[in-house]
Amino acid sequence: MRPIDRPAVRIIAALLAPVAVLIWWQAQSAAGGARALAFVPLQDVGASLVEMAASGLLAADTLATVSRAVTGLLFGSMAGILVGAAMAMSPIVDRIVGPLYHSVRQVPLLGWLPLIGLWLGNGDGAKLLIVGLAAFYPTVLGSYEGLRQVERRYLEVGVLLGFTPLQHFTKVLLPGGLPLILTGIAQAIAFAWIATIGTEILLGAGAGLGATMSHAQAQQRMDVILVAIVATGLLGFTLNHLFARLRQHLLRWQAAIA
Amino acid sequence: MNVSTRVEAAGEARSGPGALTISGLSRTFRIDGRELPVLQGIDLSVRPGEFVSIVGPSGCGKSTLLRLIAGLDTDFSGEIRLDGKRITGTGLERGLVFQDHRLFPWMTLEENVGLALLNGTLDQARRKAVVEDHLALVNLTGFEKAYPHQLSGGMAQRAAIARALVTEPTLLLLDEPLGALDALTRVHVQRELQRIWMQQGSTMIMVTHDVEEAVYLGDRVVIMDARPGRIRRIVDVDLPHPRKRSLPQLHRLRDQILDELTRTPEGPSENLVPFPSREAR
Repeated sequence: MRPIDRPAVRIIAALLAPVAVLIWWQAQSAAGGARALAFVPLQDVGASLVEMAASGLLAADTLATVSRAVTGLLFGSMAGILVGAAMAMSPIVDRIVGPLYHSVRQVPLLGWLPLIGLWLGNGDGAKLLIVGLAAFYPTVLGSYEGLRQVERRYLEVGVLLGFTPLQHFTKVLLPGGLPLILTGIAQAIAFAWIATIGTEILLGAGAGLGATMSHAQAQQRMDVILVAIVATGLLGFTLNHLFARLRQHLLRWQAAIA
Repeated sequence: MNVSTRVEAAGEARSGPGALTISGLSRTFRIDGRELPVLQGIDLSVRPGEFVSIVGPSGCGKSTLLRLIAGLDTDFSGEIRLDGKRITGTGLERGLVFQDHRLFPWMTLEENVGLALLNGTLDQARRKAVVEDHLALVNLTGFEKAYPHQLSGGMAQRAAIARALVTEPTLLLLDEPLGALDALTRVHVQRELQRIWMQQGSTMIMVTHDVEEAVYLGDRVVIMDARPGRIRRIVDVDLPHPRKRSLPQLHRLRDQILDELTRTPEGPSENLVPFPSREAR
């Protein structure tokens, strides 16, 4: 093992850049004048972290944001896998749904916000729909490409062994397409996370880290904004990391990943 | 599992299932609107429990013939019957082993081998036992939980043979099953295959490029011609099993067949491209 690969060394290396930024930040806040307004002293940020944690605000926001992201992700990616699979397996569905999907996909997610806001208001429904859409797009693509690239020779084995249509799907197509489906889901997680925070900031109402950021901006509470940003970053990192572990487990049959 | 060793002479009739009759079989491919006969007028009878090798130049349709017997390709004229039943599609009484092992990379060995049993009548415990038996038959006990990428080429091909045999098919079709293996592994798996065939007692038809392999394993060797694919001659290998690779009769037969395959009636082979000579420059 090279020295840089040791766990302890890796953690220290990962912390170098953040610590440098914090030192620089603290120096800026100590400089006084206009800069002290833009760069809140770290002890203030720490104090509001303690305050938000003690009041239960941080926990409530985290729970609201994470459950929104995960719910949207589940529904969006499940729908995405189904639509992608239908497009991959039926040329008719591909012809009918494909062009619509590819053109609707060109509208940036936030472009739907005004319309969805008019339909559903700024409540949970609207936010979930946006998050779901964010997860939907990349999973459709992943499952479409994934199922289509499953090799004919494996399907032939299914014919030879007398598979039912359901067995063809669950034993051959789905596992064969899994690598690309999971790549689609990995993208969906990133998009859904962005969409969750984005809609919370833009639609404002209710709990959530994004909503708290937006309120804090109105009250010029830089310290609160920073706590929410750090929490968002750490949660997103954790989400990605957990998924990477799951992906590694599901694809343990691949030589390169094992 | 039936573990009777057969030392009877080849050609001796054996009763039981696994009799294949092919009559007037032709298959035409359509390429760019042109009809291309791949197989023409194939007649062949295979006795129950017989091992038949098929050799021939590339493009003689020998792999197509196996696909037709397997039922993967049903667009042919003529007739194929297994134990009197006309073949119209795939069936578990016929197994097929491909040159590329085609194990599903996302499944362990035992899952792969058990695939053909999924729609059978066996319960889960019985299925597991049958899979174990067949992994033992191909000497892969202990590798139940391994994924295909963890196996060597020879092991994967043996697992593919186990997957094809697990339903105890009366007819096993082998499409150049050892073609992708290195020379030493190939010799080893050939010996295994001979043992498995003697143990199983099912009819086997193997397509191969390797004439030595064809005579070593086959009770008969079918020699095919290309364009259109047809049977040129059938050679009896009248030697008891198990055979020793070093038998002089085998070598004589191999040389004879090789000679026949490389010789063409109208002088030098049309497949040979004239070597550019120095004088031409």
